[in-house]
This record gives sequence, C-alpha cells and structure tokens, in this order.
Amino acid sequence: MDELKAIGEYDTTQYIVIDIGDEQYGIDIKFVENIVRMQSITRVPNVQEYFKGVINLRGEVVPVMSLRKKLNLEDDEITNKTRIIIIKLEANAPIGVIVDEVKEVVTLENSSVDSVSRSSQKDEISYINGIGKTGDTLISLLDLNMIIAE
Amino acid sequence: MDVSQYLEIFLDETSEHLQSLSDQLMILENEPENEDTINEIFRAAHSLKGMAGTMGYKRMQNLTHDMENVFSEVRNGKMKVSSHLIDVLFQALDALEEYKNTIQETQDEGTNDNEAIIKELQQILDEGTGASAPEAAPADSAKEKAEEKPQEEAAADAAGSDDGDQKWKSVKLQEHEIGVMKEALGKGMHVYGCTVYVQETCILKAARAFLVFKALEELGEIIVSVPSAQDIEDEHFDFDFSVFVVSESSFDQVKSAIMSVSEIDRMVGEEIKANSAFLAGAGAEEASEADSESAKASEETAPVPVQQTTTAPAAQQTTGKKNQNAGKPVVNRTVRVDIEKLDVLMNLVSELIIAKNSIVSFSNAVSEGTNGFNEQIEYLESVTTNLHESVMKVRMVPIESVVNKFPRMIRDLSKKLNKKMELFMTGEETELDRTVVDEIGDPLMHLLRNSADHGLEPNDFRVQNGKPEVGSIFLDAYQDGNNVVIEVRDDGRGIDVAAVKAKAIERGTITPEQAENMSDKEIIDLLFLPSFSTAKVVSDVSGRGVGLDVVKSKIEALGGDVSVKTKLGEGSTFAIRLPLTLAIIQALMVSVGGEKYAISLGSIQTIENITNDDIKYVEANEVIHLRGSVIPLVRLDQILGVESQRNPEDDLIVAIVKKGDALAGLVVDELLGQQEIVIKSLGKYINCSSRLISGATILGDGEVALIIDANVLI
Repeated sequence: MDELKAIGEYDTTQYIVIDIGDEQYGIDIKFVENIVRMQSITRVPNVQEYFKGVINLRGEVVPVMSLRKKLNLEDDEITNKTRIIIIKLEANAPIGVIVDEVKEVVTLENSSVDSVSRSSQKDEISYINGIGKTGDTLISLLDLNMIIAE
Repeated sequence: MDVSQYLEIFLDETSEHLQSLSDQLMILENEPENEDTINEIFRAAHSLKGMAGTMGYKRMQNLTHDMENVFSEVRNGKMKVSSHLIDVLFQALDALEEYKNTIQETQDEGTNDNEAIIKELQQILDEGTGASAPEAAPADSAKEKAEEKPQEEAAADAAGSDDGDQKWKSVKLQEHEIGVMKEALGKGMHVYGCTVYVQETCILKAARAFLVFKALEELGEIIVSVPSAQDIEDEHFDFDFSVFVVSESSFDQVKSAIMSVSEIDRMVGEEIKANSAFLAGAGAEEASEADSESAKASEETAPVPVQQTTTAPAAQQTTGKKNQNAGKPVVNRTVRVDIEKLDVLMNLVSELIIAKNSIVSFSNAVSEGTNGFNEQIEYLESVTTNLHESVMKVRMVPIESVVNKFPRMIRDLSKKLNKKMELFMTGEETELDRTVVDEIGDPLMHLLRNSADHGLEPNDFRVQNGKPEVGSIFLDAYQDGNNVVIEVRDDGRGIDVAAVKAKAIERGTITPEQAENMSDKEIIDLLFLPSFSTAKVVSDVSGRGVGLDVVKSKIEALGGDVSVKTKLGEGSTFAIRLPLTLAIIQALMVSVGGEKYAISLGSIQTIENITNDDIKYVEANEVIHLRGSVIPLVRLDQILGVESQRNPEDDLIVAIVKKGDALAGLVVDELLGQQEIVIKSLGKYINCSSRLISGATILGDGEVALIIDANVLI
C-alpha cells in the first residue's frame, strides 16, 4: 500500500527520447515493445504514403511507418543510427516507427509537462500532447494515437 | 456443486441431443407412426432432462420433462402425433436451444420459464390422453407426490441424523407398500431393504443413483425409495438413499448389481422375511419412532433447506453477473478431432525428430561428402509438408454441423410462406477449416431463404406452368481442387434479368445507356449491390434488400466468392467458392520490378510465353488470344507501381489466372518457383485501398513477400 501511494504521489512517466531532424521527441515507454535496427523493408503498393512497408520481426509481419513523412518532414535518410521503434497500442497489432536516432530514457514528473498551447498550432502540432523539459532541452511528447491513426 | 468442468461436455452433448431431436421430429412429421423415431426422441428428451437436472438447470429440465411426458404417452400409444404437436415441440426445441446459448454465454440458464410452451404441452397431454384416461393423470400424481413428499423428506432427514448405517430401517412404510411386499413374499419372492452410499467425491451422484435404480430394475422392482425417485433425479439427497426391492434374485446378486455401479461407496441392507418385525410391527414401531424423529427432524431440517436455497442462487447470480460482464462465451470453442488424424500427426512429429537427428549427425560428419545431406534435406521437406497437411486436416470439420439445421428451417419456411417445398442436400461430409465453417451458416441461410421466398413460385403457379407442385431446393457441397464449392440451387422461376435491369434503372443504380451495354451476367451481379431487392412484396422471410450483399461481403471476407447462374423459368444456382484453408497455401513466387510476390497456385491455370506480336487490342485494352479464348492482359508492374526490369522487346511471361469462368493474364518479370507459404496479415493499420494485396509471407531468407490476390484483378 505504501509503495502504491509513493508512486501515486510522484506521478511520473518514462519516455524514450528520439531525434528527428533537430527536434527531440518523447514516446511513452509503456507503449514501446521493442527497438530494432534498420532492416530491409518490403514496400507495399497502393497504401498511405507514410507507410514504408512491412518488416519481418521474428516471424511476425509488422507494418512500418515513417515518422518524418507523417510529420510532413523530408524523407528519412538511413544512417547507422536509424532505428525502428516497435509500438503496441493494443494487443496483436504492433506497428513500427522509423526514427533518426534513439537518445535515452528520461523520467518526467507529470506536473512538469506543459500542455501544448493551442494558439501556436501548426499542422503537425496535433500529433503532440505535451512538452517536457530535461535540463535545457525541450521534448515534444508524441500522441501515439494521433500518429498511428489515419 | 461445482459442475463448471462438465459444462463443455454438457453443451456438446446438449447440441447433439437437440440436433438429434430436430432430425427425428422431421422424420416423425412425415411418418407419425414410426416407433423407432418415437423411441429415439423419447431417449434424447430423457437424456437431456437428466443432463440438465444434473447440471442444475431447472428450467431446462422442466421443459424437457414435459416433452418427455408427451412422448411417453405417444410411445404408449395413448396419443397420436398431430401436426400441431410437432409445431409445439419445435417451439420447445427452439426454447431449449435458447437455454443452451444462454448457458454457453453466461453459464446460467437465464430466467425465461417458457411457460407458454409448457402450458401448451400440458394441454396437448390432457387432450390427447383425455379420451383413454378420463382422470387427469398428471394432476393426480402430482397431488399424490405433494402429499407424500413432506413425510418422506421428514423421514429421510430424520434418518440422516441416525448414526447407524442401516438407514433404511428407519424408513416409514405406507400401508399399501407393506401390502405389496407381503404379496410378493407370498409369491415366494424376496424383499430386500437397503441403503446405498455414494462416494462423497462423486459429482454426478444423481446419475450414479439412476444407474443403481436401473440395475435394480433389471433384477426386480423397486417398491419404495427414500428420497423419492424424482428427488434423487433432481439431486435432492446427500450421499445415500434407501430402497426397498422386490426380486427373485438373492441378496448377494442384488448387492453385486449395486456395487457394480462405479463411485458407489458401499451398500448395507438385508432381506426382510415374512415374519420380520419390520413388516408386522411396522405400525407400532413407527409410531414411537416417528414421534421422536419428527421432533428431531423439525430441529434439523428447518435450517438446512433455507441455507441451501439461499446460497445456491446467490452463487449462481454472482457467477452469472461476472460472466455477463466479460461479455463473451465462457466456454471455449473446441474441435472434436478424429483420433486417426492425431495418430498421423504424432507419427509425423516422430519422423521429423528422426530427420532432425540425422541432419545433426551429418553435420558432425560433413567431411564424408554432401550427397546424403541433400537426401536428408529432401526427407525433412517431405515430412514438414505432410505435417502441415495433417495439422490442417485437424482443423477441418465437416460442414454437416452447419447445414443440418437447414431441413428444419425449410420446413418452417414452407409453413410460413405457405408453399410446398423440399430440401435435398448432398456432400454434408465435405470438410472445411473450422473458422470458415463457423462463418458460412448465415450466408447459406440467406441463400436458402432467398430461394424459398423469391426463387420458388407459389404452388398453383407451378402447376399451371407444368412443374411439379412441390418446389425443390438443392444444397450441394463438394471439393474442387483447392476450393470447396457449396451450391444452393432451386427449380423456381429463375432471375428475371429484364426486371432487375428495370429496377436498377428505376433506382438510379445504372443509367438506361449503361444498361444497354451490360451483359446478363453483369446485370445479375447488380443483385449483390447493397440494398437491392427485386421482391415485389417485402416479406417477413426475405426481401428487405439486406440479403445478397451481406452474403457477398461475408464470403469475400473468408477469401471466397459467390457466383450466380440462372435460367428464366427453370431456376437459379448460387455457387459459393471457398478456399480449403486460410493459413497455408501453395503459391507461385514471381518477381516484378525486382520485388518478390506470391500468387496463390490455386487460382493459376497455366503459365504462357507470349511474344509482343501476340498482343491484340480490344477497346484499347491489351488482350491475348489463347486456345480459343480472349484473355485480358494485366501488367502487374503498372498496377504495383514499379518499373519492369525486362527488356520490352523480349517475350512476356504471363500467368493465366482463373476466377470462376473468367480468366486474366498477369504479366510478370520472372518466375521464381513454387513454394508453400504461410499467410500473415498485414495488420490493421495498413490500408490497401485496392485490396490487391491480401497478405504477406516470410520467405526462407527472412524477407517479406506480399501475396497478390488475383481475384481482384479479374
């Protein structure tokens, strides 16, 4: 009981910090199933543009999308640091997201997360549901439901 | 009592009995005097009653009990089978089916008492037997029972407090029962009194008691049982019951007969002689005993029943609620597997292990040469192929379980629509993957209703047109290569293409100009569009326009397709074509623009080499002329959005694919060979708008290849 209370009081969430271009984004760690290196992706014709295709993840066929394309940035440039983050929002439906680099895991207190001010809305901002701070850097927290939805 | 572990068996057997009842009732309707059938129905109803009682489903038990009563009268020749009776019995079956479904979902039988049906059964019983037995027998016996019960219960419960094992000795006998025993003794027969103890771990104690009764009835007659036979059947007893038996056999024979029933702990008892105090002084002895016992009984019995009645329903309610919250059936779906299929599977697995072992040993001694290695690889391959086939077969179940409810449905439809019709079925033993079998019930039902309602003409109309008065509907299932075909055929009026066309134009589905250029087949395909019904009268049975499009989408979701053939005035045939299995297929691997794709081998007819000169143009579309048929060419590179890597001057490699009667030629870059592939879904996020890609598979080298659904391209 005491333990539970302690966690409740702190109310923190862990995020995986990723790089896309010059910005840093955070993905709630509880949805992250796995992080894998870039591998060969099989293109699927006639699908949404941001879908790169499918990969073989230990015998499972997993669709992979480009976060850059979804955020309307220029196409991915595959480097040694490029990773695919496997996200599972619901059982039996994993999805891969390509990111430039995975930096670290940070723990943010929920109270320190700023909500996004609606006035500064740009197109892509609807994919973000908060801004966290570690030290001097700002981390845009991705709203995975919005990213993965149509 | 916790019976949940028996729930699955109960549901399985209930389904079987219900099906058998339904089948037999159909027979009975045509042959009301068929004794075998009547007996069979009686048996099924009786078993159902027993099972429901054991599981504690009182409402279900009551209903079956009344059905059984009716049949018992029919069997004894006291009643005739009327068509009204059959109707009511079918209603009762439906009600039982409902109980079964409720139980399957919630583990509880629900609260519907189906009083109307029970009342009707009673009424039939009263009317039917009224002539031969003027006094309403059931009411009488019920009254009698009601009178006896309290006494017996008191006695039984009192006996329970007696420390001695010989509980039967404290049973209070009625005058007439003593009379019967004395009479039997006079005839030189033996009378035994005994108490039987069922093992306390026994779960189906009512069933055990029933078996004991049966065993005893073979040897003689049971005069008295405490608690009453009804209470025992309802499981209203602890772990013992006492009986008085009249028999010609010796006591040891009786004892061994009882002990031969399993889960019987022990039985105690002895022969009652004519001079026994038990018979002679029964009155006096009982008087004193009864006094003290009834006092004891009132102390003890009072709290017990109360406790039982309150705890049991409460427990049931809570479990019921819990299960309802979960919202899905509490019982897992199972496949009953033929033991032979499992044997084959087991053998293959052992072979697989042997093959693996020999490969291991070869890799240890690889220096000796590689010939043997290839041999082993080939062996391994053949084993895995067979293994996969048998695993698939284990998943296969005959479509019988789905189609055997149709004769009943057609019978009901026949009454409802007031048309005479008959259903002929063949190929019920055809096997399909369990998942497919579960899903085809509704589409088939739609098609059958469609045939019954729209297809078949009214009887007088048929006679006028020189057709047999009774309409025929056929359901034929058969295997055709890698597919299973199920056809629903009728000898009715056929589809009036002109009427469909007029309706389509009226609804604005097509323009009159379009209609001009459409073939009959294309017009008929309009029927599969959502909300398209040509029935002039919207009936209760069908014609709400939600039929054929639902059928089509359901069948397509299963990877199959539906086609129609029709001849005006002669009838129509709806053919459903389904893949044998959904999980693993034989595929042709091709490459297009450097990418690998799989095409199901089942849909490929031939592979052709075509020179550029062979390509002709029809309405600016590329076609080829092959062995008498004109086949449209489909350039896969264009459709898949890649650049072909072949020199445009070279010959084309064309895979001719088939869907029903239609053909198309798929142009590919290269053939990579045949392969067995495991179909994987692309997941829900990818939206393949054209449905061209039906899935993906993982190749031997770990690469993912997409599966092209050729049906979409035709």
